[in-house]
Amino acid sequence: MSEMEGFHYIGKPLARKEDKRLVTGRGRFVDDIVVPGALHACFVRSPHAHARILKISTEAACDLSGVIGVFTGEDLDRWTNRLRVAPPIEGLHPTEISTLPIDKVRFHGDPVAVVVAKDRYVAEDATELVDVEYELLPAIASLENALVGNAVLVDETLPSNLVSHQSFSAGNVDRRRKEAHTVVEASFYQHRQTHVPMETRGCVAVWDAGREHLTFHTGSQVVHPLRSQLAVRLGLSESQVAVISLDVGGGFGQKIALYREELTVAALARHLSRPVRWREDRSENLMAASHARENFCRTRASVTAEGRILGLELEITEDFGAYCFYPANYMSRVVAMILTGPYRIEDYAFDVKIALTNKCGNGPMRAPMSITSWVMDGTIDAVARQLGLDPVDVRRTNMIGTEDLPYRMPTGELLEDITPAETLRSVIDAVGYDAFRNRQRALRNEGRYIGLGLCTVVESTTYGSAFYKSTGIPGSGHEAAWVRIEPSGVVNASVGLGATGQGYETAMSQAVAEGLGVDPSCIRIHIGNTDVAPYGMGSRGARGGTAGGGSLYLCAQKARGHVLRIAAHELGLNSASDLRLLAGRVERLLNGVWSATGISLADIARTAYLDPTNLPDGVAPGLDFSLTYDPPPMTYSNSSHACEVEVDIRTGMLSISRYVVSEDCGTVINPIVVRGQQQGAIAMGLSGAMLEEVVYDENGQNLSATFADYLVATACELPNFEILHNHTPNKRTPAGIKGMAEGGVMGSIASLTNAVNDALAPFGVVANRQPLSPQYLRSLLRERM
Amino acid sequence: MSVARMISLTVNGETLEATVEPRKLLADVLREDFGLTGTHVGCEHGVCGACTVLIDDQPARACLTYAIQMEGHEITTIEAVGGTDLSPLQRALHEEHGLQCGFCTPGIIMTFEAFLRDTPDPSEDDVRDVLSGNLCRCTGYQNIVAAVLKAARTIREERP
Ligand code: FES
Ligand code: FES
Repeated sequence: MSEMEGFHYIGKPLARKEDKRLVTGRGRFVDDIVVPGALHACFVRSPHAHARILKISTEAACDLSGVIGVFTGEDLDRWTNRLRVAPPIEGLHPTEISTLPIDKVRFHGDPVAVVVAKDRYVAEDATELVDVEYELLPAIASLENALVGNAVLVDETLPSNLVSHQSFSAGNVDRRRKEAHTVVEASFYQHRQTHVPMETRGCVAVWDAGREHLTFHTGSQVVHPLRSQLAVRLGLSESQVAVISLDVGGGFGQKIALYREELTVAALARHLSRPVRWREDRSENLMAASHARENFCRTRASVTAEGRILGLELEITEDFGAYCFYPANYMSRVVAMILTGPYRIEDYAFDVKIALTNKCGNGPMRAPMSITSWVMDGTIDAVARQLGLDPVDVRRTNMIGTEDLPYRMPTGELLEDITPAETLRSVIDAVGYDAFRNRQRALRNEGRYIGLGLCTVVESTTYGSAFYKSTGIPGSGHEAAWVRIEPSGVVNASVGLGATGQGYETAMSQAVAEGLGVDPSCIRIHIGNTDVAPYGMGSRGARGGTAGGGSLYLCAQKARGHVLRIAAHELGLNSASDLRLLAGRVERLLNGVWSATGISLADIARTAYLDPTNLPDGVAPGLDFSLTYDPPPMTYSNSSHACEVEVDIRTGMLSISRYVVSEDCGTVINPIVVRGQQQGAIAMGLSGAMLEEVVYDENGQNLSATFADYLVATACELPNFEILHNHTPNKRTPAGIKGMAEGGVMGSIASLTNAVNDALAPFGVVANRQPLSPQYLRSLLRERM
Repeated sequence: MSVARMISLTVNGETLEATVEPRKLLADVLREDFGLTGTHVGCEHGVCGACTVLIDDQPARACLTYAIQMEGHEITTIEAVGGTDLSPLQRALHEEHGLQCGFCTPGIIMTFEAFLRDTPDPSEDDVRDVLSGNLCRCTGYQNIVAAVLKAARTIREERP
């Protein structure tokens, strides 16, 4: 029996425990938390992309009734420590930023001052009365301008705007190029996007002057790392700060870093000894929270006549924006590391350049490495196009099969327990590949252009501490859990994740249920409070299932072992080896049959807490367990995506007619939750690739600061997704969990673009930029029709 | 800025009073003055639908409405939906996993409580069309559509 089949609670489609409060309007998001007497902060933001701050006049604002004060970068510099990002990574320049700008602003929307008032409306009024004198500097609004020789410096402490540059080579790509039948070049431009959690950022900072303690309510994916950051930047100890995140209205990577606004609010609460709150408005969120993507990739594939890839070269350039809240190579590096994904490629080289520009700073957004699969499978399609081969055949010629596993990627990454050939076969069967080609031919004769795009994703999901160590990125990938069986036999448990909609209260209770042997309804998961949860690394990447679920599962198993030892003692047995706990009752294996013993978990809990003299020798009172777990350096899931589109060649309108995905994400803790994550990730990818775009003009003015300009897909633009399951367990993780939630973004942007190119093939054009707007598709077709 | 004055609103069948400036948005008065924080604010410019409430039984954006204009009107918020039990729509959203973070959910429920009252047997296209007035960043909409269609079936079956 494989592990996946032997589960009692893992794998059950339990509807979510968190829903009831949310569907009745009784959730508690940041702005729902009432703090009597709280003051309101509102930021004064730069109207310029790049300018020196000459003078800030605050008198008029301070005179407004209800205003408590106006504070600037100089004030914050006295009350906080600067952010230095300087990990020991070769080719990465260290950067340092103050909490608010002092000498100059670096992007349109940069906060230059903050008003504190008794009322949010008054605070906003007062920001208009703060007069900032600027001296304009030339704005760096594109990668090209950032990297020219005499470019103005975004960060004047750096030698150039090239903040990070790494290269790597395995094998001998030069030789492979010479041996090749053909060298195929392809390029890919992914535009700037932003996360758009429906709940914007915000916080409430409460400083208890008597206890010298800060309580910080905010929506965070990583409450403990955020607490560490707050403490360091405020010059406090970690015992002086508590971070609390109750309900969080989406994060997608935007709610990881400690940004300048939140730190400012915390510092103000301490300085004023009054609670201070801040609610970011949508235009601030779109303009100044965090941006993502905007990278340009070029590949060169040396191939045989049959399409076998002998060598692959990648160049990435990323527009990182103005400020580094992460090491600048953080996102692009992962793209370069895992580019080859499901394909057998030994000779591989990459060159990764990251530039600073006068735009909002970049951060990881759901699938920070989202472009990877588009670049790889887009290159495969380019090979097929250039050699006149079928794109499915080129994929199969190069794909890693079961016989190749474990497979060491040219960058050293180890792939085990993945099934790309199987997921690819399953989507191809589902869409009826040959029938599609017939339909496509027939419709072309009628002047209609449909296309099918494929993409196979190998998704890096769980990053263990060894990964952090080997890449020089500060941090760790381990996770922590505790499980407490209370005197009545109910179970409380906690883990260091940060929920932003993933249904942890349900799925994580199933992980505990499985490890312990208790129904999930008797288990309550407590997360999002640093005083309650153990210090964990939070939710980022797709680590929740493997790291979070894994540590809870192991911790619950530890608890079960202890409980059964007590049960064995009560039953007068020498060993617990023939005992198990199921549905909260102890059972004993007698003649090959599990039989009731009459002992329940509640009985044992009563003994452990209230009658400890009846415990076996050497067993301490209470039932309180904790554990940390460090996953393998990296775990991988895989999936294959098939997207069918139609392009109206007269208008450039793109519509998606069918979307099929087949995924292997290992043991699934809760299939309802996993399906929701698959749908959400694909939707985010499609929305980004079709509609969303942060637009800056040549002067660095942000032109996309409302939902009328930054378009997020609605229910009318997205199809239903057909989801096929191909799950196989990971042999090295607890319960065989692999993790998931980002691969859908990777696969969808690739399969969509590949589909468009398939549809437009008769015109000999290739879309190599996103978003795939009607205007862009028309511009490609205009010259060819 | 102008002078605050006392207004009296009918919210969820109760008469509530607050002293507010004429410029104060209905969404802010509901949330801040009346403590009804189930009405969410996602954009303050009328696009996301998170702030949807019923004004005289019709869905409306509480972020585009001044509270002072609402005297003499009946306002219904998410807090009044479902009572001790969940409504068929709330139940269907739970069963079909039609919410993840749940921030968009109250606005969607208010939109569709009214829609299903007037359109008992909608098609999927009808539902998607109306749902396009509410942004959801988490779900990809598929399960919300399924939940609305399921709730419609339940309501039809439960009707005397
Ligand atoms: S907050 Fe009213 S529509 Fe977005
Ligand atoms: S459930 Fe998160 S925005 Fe809809």
